[in-house]
Amino acid sequence: MVENLVLGIGVTALAGALATVAGAAEDTESDIGSQGDPNSQVQLAPQMGYIHRIYNKAISGEPPAYGLWCALGAGIAWAFMAINLNAILALIVGAAVAVFVQGVYATTAYLGRTASLAKFEQPVYIDILKSVTTVTMAHAFVAIFTTISMCYLMVAALGHPFPLPLLGLVWGIALGAAGSATGNPFYGKERQYQEQKFGAGVPISASGNIVRYAEAGERSSLDNGWFTSKLGGPASGLCFGLIVFFELWRTVLFEPFAGGWGAVIAGVVVILIFMVIDRFVETWARTTFGPYTEVAAAEPEEAAS
Amino acid sequence: MSALGGAAAGGEGINPTASVIGIVILLVALGITFFIASTGGAVALIGIILGGALIGFGVHFVPVGGAPAAMGQAPGIATGVAMLAAGAGLAGLFGGAWAAELGFAVALGAGAVGGGLMMAITCMMVNVIYVFGMGIPSASGKVDKDPITGDTFPEYKSQGTEGHGLPFISYVGGVIGGTLGGLGGTLIYLELLAVYEAALPVIYNAPLEEILPVAVSLAGIFAVGMFLVNAVLTAYNITGTIEGPHDPKFKRFPRAIIAAAVASSVCGMLAIMVVAL
Repeated sequence: MVENLVLGIGVTALAGALATVAGAAEDTESDIGSQGDPNSQVQLAPQMGYIHRIYNKAISGEPPAYGLWCALGAGIAWAFMAINLNAILALIVGAAVAVFVQGVYATTAYLGRTASLAKFEQPVYIDILKSVTTVTMAHAFVAIFTTISMCYLMVAALGHPFPLPLLGLVWGIALGAAGSATGNPFYGKERQYQEQKFGAGVPISASGNIVRYAEAGERSSLDNGWFTSKLGGPASGLCFGLIVFFELWRTVLFEPFAGGWGAVIAGVVVILIFMVIDRFVETWARTTFGPYTEVAAAEPEEAAS
Repeated sequence: MSALGGAAAGGEGINPTASVIGIVILLVALGITFFIASTGGAVALIGIILGGALIGFGVHFVPVGGAPAAMGQAPGIATGVAMLAAGAGLAGLFGGAWAAELGFAVALGAGAVGGGLMMAITCMMVNVIYVFGMGIPSASGKVDKDPITGDTFPEYKSQGTEGHGLPFISYVGGVIGGTLGGLGGTLIYLELLAVYEAALPVIYNAPLEEILPVAVSLAGIFAVGMFLVNAVLTAYNITGTIEGPHDPKFKRFPRAIIAAAVASSVCGMLAIMVVAL
């Protein structure tokens, strides 16, 4: 009993750590490939006359895309395990095959979306296709491999009833949801609109005027990955890691109590704790930053004009 | 997209003709299921319809700002309605399915809490990014005062935006939405699992223990599929972005509940007929 509990807690911690890496890699991949909601500005910019060299592969949201890739990776790994291939090797092969699908998706998405902007004189850059696609694939491999490894732990060590491919789909969608929710604002506001004032939203009148130049030459999507991996990526990782950890932790540790209701009660307590933390963050911002004054509020508008 | 100044699409009221047609379709689906799979199948279908309606209702609570939120131009979480709700609901389904052997009520509770937990953590991290990464306080664009905390918003809204971040009312809405989504998804899963556990051993002439993985897989994949159907359907009702229960768009929920119930009845009928025919 105690040994099972210790194993369960160890697996929970490992799954949480894998989820943290997955979240960070997912957000960085989506920022380099520009797949999240901020890509609306990448698509909009040429229509407003701002030609750029940013990658553009937001042909679907991150949750369904990662749902597909993780389900695919997990499904292939599951098939290899069924013919008695070593589990680690099967997971690597599954993730590798899924990444090739991601690469095809990224290539066709970039070509298709960018070509649709031809009438606004936005060129398709082949060097971008060659240099950025492989980088997004590398990050996607990390995200997919860690997610399906985490799913494998849930099945093999914790005894979850869902088969591996279905868990890949479920957690792939959750990964994309957590990563896009947490990481998108940082990529959208802080990176694409780096010229706008810190501490305020982007005025709607500035839409499409994304930053297109770097210290030397034109900004590359790889620079965006470098920037967002400082906060947006780790925060997304922390978000997904906390979700997976607490989801498993409350079940592994508290399910034996009160006929299963222990895990439910523990979950409610954890929700209330996060609610208090959120309220603290909200009030801290209000008291520390204070309200916008007339002068401060006018500045973003000036910057946009 | 309302943040770009466009008018909100879609009417506010319920279309009586469409609703009557929908309810007729629902009753026909229920009748066919009763005819083919007897009372057990019909009761399961009622549970599935209820689960679908819960998902449709729950999605309205989830604060989603889409692309404008990613630029701090509108409040909410910077992703799509259906996808965020699906992420939370499926995390709940994961917990509910895990607890299925402990009984119906416990599994429903585990599913609900799983969805709520996912949203509680995600919403908190969204505010952490806005506050500590971007230096932006929360401000609603739809109301001047938070109905729960009484915080005022107009002076905390930066110029040229509709608001930003997640006010506390939106946070609470997110948790309620995740909870209802997890509850609805788990209810659909449990109803389908009961149908498959009863039917598959007879079809394959094998003991339940051998058939269980097939039953779990089938119920799980149908539950995920029906969750997505209901979440996407509700996203059409919301049309773009919503701040949570205080948003005027929230009042559209009765229409989504009818649509989700009708869609769930047809999807549920097909899922039951897989083993009943």
